[in-house]
Amino acid sequence: MDANERIEIKTTSDPANLAGARHQVETFCHELGMSDGPCAEVGLCVNEAMANIHRHAYGGAVDKPIHLTARRVEGSIEIQIRDWGNGEAPTELPEWKSDPLKPGGLGLICLNQLLDRVEFAAQSDGMLLTLAKRI
Amino acid sequence: MSELKTGTDLVPLARKEENAIVAQVQGEIDLHNSPELRSALLQLLLPAPPKKLILNVSGVPYMDSSAIAVLVEALQKMRKAGGKLYLTGLQPRVRGLLEIARLDTIFVLKSTEDEALKAP
Repeated sequence: MDANERIEIKTTSDPANLAGARHQVETFCHELGMSDGPCAEVGLCVNEAMANIHRHAYGGAVDKPIHLTARRVEGSIEIQIRDWGNGEAPTELPEWKSDPLKPGGLGLICLNQLLDRVEFAAQSDGMLLTLAKRI
Repeated sequence: MSELKTGTDLVPLARKEENAIVAQVQGEIDLHNSPELRSALLQLLLPAPPKKLILNVSGVPYMDSSAIAVLVEALQKMRKAGGKLYLTGLQPRVRGLLEIARLDTIFVLKSTEDEALKAP
């Protein structure tokens, strides 16, 4: 695999790191030939996934590790996000908010609506989330 | 018209015009700085919410779900007080997220501050 077709981000669960991570992923999407709209959608999904790790897997801690890799896999971009938190996957991936004014859940809806594949794989010591979108 | 201070770069300008508060919001807003936006908006609603809160978000290229939650909280406070919240100048990414959240028909969306000020 071409070294330029893979990026790796090792960061922490501090929300201050969200912007940097999504910008890097969006830049990578552009380099793979994705157009602006889909790049932005992938960036948003990475943001939401990492924010959920901060909130839920790590209970709001800001100093816990998050490792992200993004690569081209055939005709898609595949992103894997590993955390070492509580290992609990969401019970469902809702497609719509039944009540738009009810708080919570929008991040998962974004993953469900904007990506082609979302897989939570519980590990013995955390979670591996795989996201994919066609280029 | 009187200027209002919010103490954050996310809302660099805010003013009161008769029964409306008009605020410019700017910058990318995510979980890192959405609490700052929340504080600024809640401060603008004190001591009592106006009839209209007009948020000019033309300087906001990006919002995540935490920023949307702040807007929903402000909307609910405005509704409770019998007022309306207007969003003006939405950029495509922000509009897209509002559509995903099914909030594009719940917020009052206008192109410009003037349109929002003149709206019933």
